[in-house]
Amino acid sequence: MSVQEKLRSKPQWGSGFGQFACWVAAAVVSAVCLSIIGYLVFQGWHSLSWKFFTTDPSESMREGAGGGVRVPIVGTALLIVLAVLVMFPIAVGAATYLSEYMDESSWFTRVVRTGLEVLASVPSVVFGMFGLALFSMPIFTFLSSSGAEGASQAFGRSFLVAAIVMGVHVLPFVIKVSEESIRAVPVSYRRGAHALGITKWRSIRKVVLPAAAPGIVTAVILGMGLIAGDTAIVWLLLGGTTTMGASNWWAPSQFLQVLRGTGATLTTYIFFNSPAGDGNSPQLAYAAALVLVVLVLALNVIASIVGRRRKRQGS
Amino acid sequence: MPLLLASAAIFSGLVVTLVVFFVAYNAVPTFRAEGLSFITRGGWDTQINNAFTPSKTVFFGAEPLLIGTLLSTVGAVLVSLVLGTGCAIFLSELAPAAIRRPFESLVQLLAGIPSVVFGLVGLSIVVPFIQNYVVPANAANVVPEIPIEGASLLAAITVLSFMILPFFVTVAVDSLRAIPRSYVDGGLALGMTKWRTITRIQVPAAAPGLVAGLVLAAARATGEAIAVSMVAGAIAFSPNLNHGPLYMLLMPIRTIASSIVETGGDAMSIPSIASALFALATLLLLFSLILSLGARWAFAWFNKRMGVRQAGGVQT
Amino acid sequence: MSDTFASDSAESLGILETLVRPAVSRAGEREAESTSAPMVTVNGLGVAYGSKTALEGVSMLIPERRITAFIGPSGCGKSTALRCFNRMNDGISGFRISGGTVLLDGQDVYARGVNVTALRRAVGMVFQQPNPFPMSIYDNIALAVREHERGISRSTLDGIVEQALRQANLWDEVRDCLTQSALSLSGGQQQRLCIARALAVRPTVLMLDEPCASLDPISTGRIEELLLELSADYTIVIVTHNLAQAQRISDKVGFFLMGRLVEFGDALQVFEASARPETAEYVRGAFG
Ligand SMILES: Nc1ncnc2c1ncn2[C@@H]1O[C@H](COP(=O)(O)OP(=O)(O)OP(=O)(O)O)[C@@H](O)[C@H]1O
Ligand SMILES: [Mg+2]
Repeated sequence: MSVQEKLRSKPQWGSGFGQFACWVAAAVVSAVCLSIIGYLVFQGWHSLSWKFFTTDPSESMREGAGGGVRVPIVGTALLIVLAVLVMFPIAVGAATYLSEYMDESSWFTRVVRTGLEVLASVPSVVFGMFGLALFSMPIFTFLSSSGAEGASQAFGRSFLVAAIVMGVHVLPFVIKVSEESIRAVPVSYRRGAHALGITKWRSIRKVVLPAAAPGIVTAVILGMGLIAGDTAIVWLLLGGTTTMGASNWWAPSQFLQVLRGTGATLTTYIFFNSPAGDGNSPQLAYAAALVLVVLVLALNVIASIVGRRRKRQGS
Repeated sequence: MPLLLASAAIFSGLVVTLVVFFVAYNAVPTFRAEGLSFITRGGWDTQINNAFTPSKTVFFGAEPLLIGTLLSTVGAVLVSLVLGTGCAIFLSELAPAAIRRPFESLVQLLAGIPSVVFGLVGLSIVVPFIQNYVVPANAANVVPEIPIEGASLLAAITVLSFMILPFFVTVAVDSLRAIPRSYVDGGLALGMTKWRTITRIQVPAAAPGLVAGLVLAAARATGEAIAVSMVAGAIAFSPNLNHGPLYMLLMPIRTIASSIVETGGDAMSIPSIASALFALATLLLLFSLILSLGARWAFAWFNKRMGVRQAGGVQT
Repeated sequence: MSDTFASDSAESLGILETLVRPAVSRAGEREAESTSAPMVTVNGLGVAYGSKTALEGVSMLIPERRITAFIGPSGCGKSTALRCFNRMNDGISGFRISGGTVLLDGQDVYARGVNVTALRRAVGMVFQQPNPFPMSIYDNIALAVREHERGISRSTLDGIVEQALRQANLWDEVRDCLTQSALSLSGGQQQRLCIARALAVRPTVLMLDEPCASLDPISTGRIEELLLELSADYTIVIVTHNLAQAQRISDKVGFFLMGRLVEFGDALQVFEASARPETAEYVRGAFG
């Protein structure tokens, strides 16, 4: 065949189908995502009212018990704050050490990295069981309560316990994202500090960490989203209830009791009120799910805004 | 100060051994009493009920839970492999710039939806849909042994697929984008079409990344408790092919992770139940260990075979 | 032979004069032969990336079964011109032909209805950085052949792979490790593999964009030797910054400057009796 004939030949066909299939896959995923959000808005919209946000779930655990989401929102917020307090220093410390001090080829580094990798893949129900096992030990009674009368074990379920376990649960994620942003700090920064004769730790504290701060904050905010969305740890370690364990929880004098007591979060509220839970008030579940999705979405948007600022600073 | 940082790093690296120790230690009574028969014997639901009667000695059989977990995970992984690879190719190669950004945000949005919300929506849409449009009218006659009511393996696979898909897509897109442009040029210059270049060169070159993403997704599916518990029927039953593949998909299941949340409330005060649940948690730990180390190994093996000499683990 | 090349391939433009050796110069050898028919005909070609003009009014006749070299300072449009011959520019956003035509064997490559994949099979291309695919040596060559001849038998394929590797002077080095990853080869071997890969789909024209830029002198010598052999069967177009190389192997030379083809002619004439002052200046190493 001459070159001319080759060029005029019909193109081989059949590759159009594969590309079309990819478009279809993308369309299906978009449609599913949009219909989940649309369904929640459509179903949950009516139940959103001032009253919904300012009343507590009913004390009774019966079907159709109803009530608003005041306590669950407080519970979610409290759990996020506590878990961040637990996780933040460890995550930043570990990320700094991993990126600044550790020799990538040493066996020690490999052990730590493997440990983090495995930890990242542990499901949250297992963390819940771990929390129960560890914090039911009598020496941890101060974190929860002494449990049933005469029991030799601690109760093992409280805000403090749930927050500690939740902190460990999101640790690998926050370490990974923080470490990336610490590594992204240009070497020239460090070298500049080094040239001034400053100790390594001082240059990290004064130069590297401030430069990496937006990335670390992004990591923490994304971690907050994970905490807000988790159900299994909360269900196992916060008491599987929709109310606060401590009475008069809003009183400052009760603060310790609240921390040591059981509670509810938006996720347990949704589970309890879903058709699968004892409450079975789907309308309330949809409304609370809408609130939760908006919350997580807002956290992600904030994280990406902070992250973008980091990029702009970096360039 | 570096000492403090070091202890933070050591703690984060080693805390997983604490998790393994406490969970496995509490599972010892069950494994000592039952050994391997814990995972080869059925009857979980009745055994749990019996265990509430303090006088009885109960042996547990988690085989249906294991099967339910494996089937739902494999199903979800297959679905998200097909859909997710399509989405990843779309995102990294095909999408016009104007569509790419919005679609990327949608995938991230999907990743951010909490599992309980997936369960809620699955229970409100997927389960009734299956019941009304997929379950044949005479199902009760065909399969008398188990209720065929929408909450099923199929529902679990559907919900899990979309839960794990964004994690797979994110990793897959990253690894596709990491393929050097020169491979693509090489393929095009040889007269391969864009599509064949994608499927013959880019996707195989990105395969370790795709495998890693898939394993990450599989780990999520295995460990998902709440959403599966809401849509899968919560009956410890091993789906079988006795009535054909459709009925197998329509049979209810209970997974390891979902049994833990379903039973693990006040029932934990009964030592035999608590120990059996810890045994389930130990199984889950074993899975995540195998999956994360297996992915790492596969990754290293692939790179070695391709002659790429570089250290690197699976990014999770 | 390769030793001669190795010692000759000094990269600096400044010492060009010392390298003019009739023994290795193609220009001298073939001067007397009658000019062969044009394989590629470029007529007033203009190219723009967005609002930026990259080529303007380029015209030339690239002869069949000869080596044509494009030279010129960086950014002058050599690669752009080359990539117009097999339409590798098509995927670049903002790229557009602002005028003129490119004819391959008389057929306008930018005409409507041209089968672009067939065009790229007819016009093979080798890049500056060796870019073997991350698969075995065998598969690197077999991949595109399988694409174009679906259902080809294993023995036929084996034959094609062997022939391509022999043509690229690589067979003896890799015959025992065909299943090994191509990425484990040396840079020079990788580049010859890329040439073999291009030859396996039986092109008419072979284009090489600075194929020796990342290679050591010995590997460079082997590739030059190879191109000289291949020019018996293929029309070869090579972009090079190494003027000594252009002089050693090319029959025709095109000198580009700021998007224009300043001069196009027989290598000997361009290098030794250039009609244009810019060319004379460039080959003397005065700018670049
Ligand atoms: N993808 C592109 N988008 C926009 N402009 C481009 C693109 N590729 C090349 N150009 C512009 O076209 C002009 C010619 O580029 P070309 O790559 O053809 O030069 P070259 O002669 O091959 O240079 P070099 O010797 O450095 O390879 C340059 O000014 C360059 O900036
Ligand atoms: Mg170039």
